[in-house]
Amino acid sequence: MFVVRIGFVHFIPGATWEGQQTKNKFEKMTWARRFVHLRIKGGILNHMMKRLMSCFTNRITSALLFLLIILNAQAQEISTDPAAISAGEALFKADCKTCHRVKEKLIGPALKDVEKRVPSVEWIKNWVRNSAKVIASGDEYANKIYNENAKSQMTAFTGYTDAQIMNVLAYIKAEGAKADVVATAATPAGQGGGGEGVPSGYVNAILVGMVVILIILVVILVLIVNALRRFLDQKQMSEEDREVVNSPISFGSVTSSPGFIFLVVFIVGMIAFKGVIDGLYSIGVQKGYQPKQPIAFSHKIHAGQYEIECKYCHTGVMKGKQANIPSPNICMNCHTQIKSGTITGEGEIAKIYAAVGFDPMTSTYTGVTKPIEWVRIHNLPDLAYFNHSQHVNVGGIACETCHGPIKEMDVVKQYSLLTMGWCIDCHRKTDVNTKGNAYYDKLLELHNSKKPMKVEDIGGLECSKCHY
Amino acid sequence: MSMMSIRNSIAILSAAVLMAGCKAGGDNPGREYAPNMYHSVAYEPLSQITDTDAGRWANSLNNDRGEYYNSNGYNPYKMNMREPAPHTVKRNAYGWLPYHGKNVPKDSVPIVTAGLRSPLDSTAEVVAEGKFLFESYCKHCHGAKGEADGKVSEKVAGVANLRGSSYQNITEGHIFHVITYGAGLMGAHGSQVSPEDRWKIAKYVKALQKQK
Ligand code: HEC
Ligand code: HEC
Ligand code: HEC
Ligand code: HEC
Ligand code: HEC
Ligand code: HEC
Ligand code: HEC
Repeated sequence: MFVVRIGFVHFIPGATWEGQQTKNKFEKMTWARRFVHLRIKGGILNHMMKRLMSCFTNRITSALLFLLIILNAQAQEISTDPAAISAGEALFKADCKTCHRVKEKLIGPALKDVEKRVPSVEWIKNWVRNSAKVIASGDEYANKIYNENAKSQMTAFTGYTDAQIMNVLAYIKAEGAKADVVATAATPAGQGGGGEGVPSGYVNAILVGMVVILIILVVILVLIVNALRRFLDQKQMSEEDREVVNSPISFGSVTSSPGFIFLVVFIVGMIAFKGVIDGLYSIGVQKGYQPKQPIAFSHKIHAGQYEIECKYCHTGVMKGKQANIPSPNICMNCHTQIKSGTITGEGEIAKIYAAVGFDPMTSTYTGVTKPIEWVRIHNLPDLAYFNHSQHVNVGGIACETCHGPIKEMDVVKQYSLLTMGWCIDCHRKTDVNTKGNAYYDKLLELHNSKKPMKVEDIGGLECSKCHY
Repeated sequence: MSMMSIRNSIAILSAAVLMAGCKAGGDNPGREYAPNMYHSVAYEPLSQITDTDAGRWANSLNNDRGEYYNSNGYNPYKMNMREPAPHTVKRNAYGWLPYHGKNVPKDSVPIVTAGLRSPLDSTAEVVAEGKFLFESYCKHCHGAKGEADGKVSEKVAGVANLRGSSYQNITEGHIFHVITYGAGLMGAHGSQVSPEDRWKIAKYVKALQKQK
């Protein structure tokens, strides 16, 4: 026993073990046994004693073996050092966050307690450096999780050192041990969000209440006047008093007076005239047209909230006449994953799947497609020619100048008049964007004018530029 | 006399109400005049009217169709647009032939693209154009600096951090392939981004990775 204790004292120091960490456990084990044997041999023991002792040493060795495994595990022990954790956090955020969360499943499994379920820490190291290789090697656990996660492949982080992987694990462990503060904090916030509508509800209630009170007041006043008149009628009154009470200027007498009729006819006539003129001017102008679309696609969510560039979907806008409406395969770049929306749930996104023939349950394409019939909003008459690339690419004009605050629209609305006057007006006012455009250099030189060229000056008002 | 003027004003009023119906708004596209000049006889690329009777009253061509009818009856769903015929090769200004690499598994991309070289030179101009294109097509997922922090990466999981260690050594050909056909969780962007633009983006991504 004494021997063993000494042995222990010798074995514990960390430094050498740290260095040998990566070596095979059993190499160390044999060395340990030899050491114990040596010690025992050094004693003066008879045959019986020897046998007893060898049995004893065997026990001791196995006890030692066991302890060493623990020791070894301790050497692979995940650090709780704040420096390691924060280094691990940076790595996790940079490389793993997009597929893994510590506590919830994303593309990959939740990594909380991962070190407890995987075969070994060593396994994790191999896995992170090249998961495909571990799977290909026929590793049972690797193939199991690969199949469980719809056979999606994890990126190979070949450049990761052991220390880096240990740091990431330190971060995962520290994060996993934290109580679910986030989840509990989120609930009251959500409730608060729902309560936002309350003040405006109050305002409406107050308004309605005030109108009701006013009506009641008027009714009461009318009742009082009638009661008073009846009361006065029964009394003896002078002619003068009677005239005051039963005034000849009654409702009937006022409405039939010529002055009143003229006034009413004049006002009604003016309003009607304005209506006709406005109506005539609005013929052929689709400003304000905001049709319901077959899919409740929202620019406010996509272009506004998620900052997707217009050009990502309207692919022709820099290159050609037409801006183009995106084909559903472009929607699928994101909607293979995003299967339900916050506002409309799954119903609207399911319409994209119907169009491209996608089965969201199995994430496979069925091959049966059908077009989406978006309702066209902006549409110049056939007699006029408008080209997007000329304005957006060459002219450098922002979409919002002509299409208005698209990023705030849930349903797209025609914002501008799109009349000839509108085009011409802008061509009169807008400077030509000549900077860095070799096409215009010669022209600028020839003009040699101090003031900037307007579109008008390069022929922006010529009929044939827009009509041919 | 007063009855007359009231009647007149009623007439004007109802005209005004009728006119107000011409104004566009909501689902109502409003009214138009001279429809014969507005509606295209040639196929319109982005809109079609499949109803053969639409605008029959305005027909000026003496054919058996409505004036507004604008649709190609021989195409699927009577669409005016068609997909290119299969196995046709699109030519471009550089005479580049199309690149084929569909359905390559993610981990085989480096092998497949090993011999793929960018036809463009690394001029500042090309890189600057690549930046503009990257910001149009990739930023909302991969982030302005390629660090997978774009707004959409909150919802689309698995976006690669292009500046991470495992992507430092990818080639421009690799990036070109990924844009064209996608890889793993990323969808194919070949239909949106032209081959020339893809090479420009690839140049910019490599420049981005070298930035500190
Ligand atoms: C492209 C997405 C992706 C990225 C990035 C990613 N992983 Fe994974 N990871 C997965 C998937 C998917 C699995 C499940 C196994 C499979 O399908 O291959 C997985 C599995 C794992 C496992 C095994 C989990 C278990 O339950 O046994 C560990 C450990 C792991 N990843 C660590 C990491 C670390 C560390 C990083 C960052 C350096 C990382 N992963 C980055 C997708 C990813
Ligand atoms: C995610 C893809 C996507 C993005 C990003 C996007 N759009 Fe759209 N846009 C569409 C779709 C789909 C339609 C057709 C349905 C509709 O009208 O809402 C459309 C319709 C439009 C229309 C009306 C077309 C017509 O019929 O006249 C305009 C104008 C427009 N978008 C402008 C913009 C502008 C400006 C931006 C950038 C701020 C933008 N879009 C960003 C997908 C997109
Ligand atoms: C670049 C990524 C991306 C593209 C491309 C994209 N979407 Fe989306 N879409 C999103 C995101 C992000 C959401 C928000 C999901 C949420 O609310 O959780 C969303 C939500 C939606 C919703 C549900 C809105 C709600 O809140 O209920 C619909 C419908 C939709 N998209 C239709 C489309 C259509 C149609 C297209 C193609 C023209 C398209 N999307 C293209 C990212 C995209
Ligand atoms: C100078 C004004 C102007 C600017 C700037 C402009 N548009 Fe347009 N847009 C129009 C007009 C006019 C039409 C109608 C074209 C037609 O009917 O031929 C239109 C039509 C559209 C359409 C309907 C489909 C089509 O191609 O006809 C979309 C989508 C669109 N614009 C998107 C955009 C986007 C995205 C931008 C910014 C990158 C943009 N527009 C910039 C004036 C403009
Ligand atoms: C917001 C201002 C603006 C509006 C609105 C606008 N344009 Fe322009 N347009 C320009 C600018 C700026 C240029 C010069 C671009 C350039 O540098 O070539 C231009 C150029 C043109 C040209 C080419 C002129 C030339 O000499 O080559 C045509 C054609 C044209 N616009 C048609 C239209 C039509 C049709 C409309 C209305 C539907 C319209 N534009 C509305 C600003 C506008
Ligand atoms: C900047 C482009 C532009 C120029 C230049 C231009 N037009 Fe127009 N014109 C238009 C547009 C766009 C419309 C369609 C307006 C609408 O739909 O309300 C139009 C409509 C018209 C119409 C009315 C047709 C109808 O049915 O409403 C006439 C007539 C016309 N233009 C004549 C001319 C003449 C003559 C000139 C030369 C002096 C000219 N235009 C120059 C863009 C232009
Ligand atoms: C809809 C979001 C989205 C957009 C837009 C997007 N990507 Fe990706 N990208 C991803 C995702 C998700 C991955 C991770 C794929 C995986 O590892 O499974 C990825 C991975 C990559 C990779 C690494 C692929 C590999 O070999 O592992 C490259 C390179 C890349 N993207 C480049 C681009 C470029 C360039 C663009 C712009 C043209 C772009 N991406 C646009 C989502 C996107």
